[in-house]
Amino acid sequence: MGGVARAPTTSDAFNAIAEPHRRQILELLKERERPVLELAEELGMTQPSASKHLRVLREVRLVRVREVGKQRLYGLDARGLRPIHEWAGGFAEFWNESFDRLETYVQDLKKESDHGR
Amino acid sequence: MADSTGQVTADREIVISRTIAAPRELVFEAFTDVRHLSQWWGPTGFTTTTRAFEFREGGSWDFVMHGADGTDYPNWITWREIDRPVRITLLHGDSADDPNAFESVLTFEARGETTHLAMRTVFPTAELRDQAVKEYHAIEGGEQTLGRLADYVEAQERR
Repeated sequence: MGGVARAPTTSDAFNAIAEPHRRQILELLKERERPVLELAEELGMTQPSASKHLRVLREVRLVRVREVGKQRLYGLDARGLRPIHEWAGGFAEFWNESFDRLETYVQDLKKESDHGR
Repeated sequence: MADSTGQVTADREIVISRTIAAPRELVFEAFTDVRHLSQWWGPTGFTTTTRAFEFREGGSWDFVMHGADGTDYPNWITWREIDRPVRITLLHGDSADDPNAFESVLTFEARGETTHLAMRTVFPTAELRDQAVKEYHAIEGGEQTLGRLADYVEAQERR
């Protein structure tokens, strides 16, 4: 790795998450820590490809790794998440949370109308 | 994306979408009556007090949003186009004469038994987009999902 010129994707969290597979990896890691093989299977890609994406995500501090016994588990890293949240967070999250509530509310409406029949 | 004048709007728009497991008419219905809106508008812990509400093209919703920390935020919405149950176009600001009000288009797409809901907001300028992001970020404080996630991950790391 050493000596290789860094592409912008490996130095900037925003560029790193422009790649859809890397966003999928973050979604999967949001649920829980996972080993690379499991991530590769979930994404339908080879282990070397998954490792390459994980390396990029680690360099921008969106993902970290820890050793548990013989296993290397990948998880989210708050250091890279924070600036993204601060940039995009407010407005989108306001509405994502509203839509969470809307979803629950509409389910209740649906039950009511089903009962009312 | 481009707006109605053909201008590219990517740097000043925000799109949020969600698939909801309910028929389109029902999801649309939840946007049409203040009785419904007051049940879900805003993140967890937010409540609203409505001063006036008239759901029709040209009508408006004048309300105050109460944050979880007790802060009040005046809100004002007017409906520009209502195409039941497909699309709602609205203008959203803090009052009827807010020069920074922005337009949001809600689209409701039936997908089998579910509904794909999308909200596309186009701000007048990229600066106003960034400002809105900042303001909403301030409204929410550290309470919201991504922020909470970052806090949670940080706490885990400190252990």
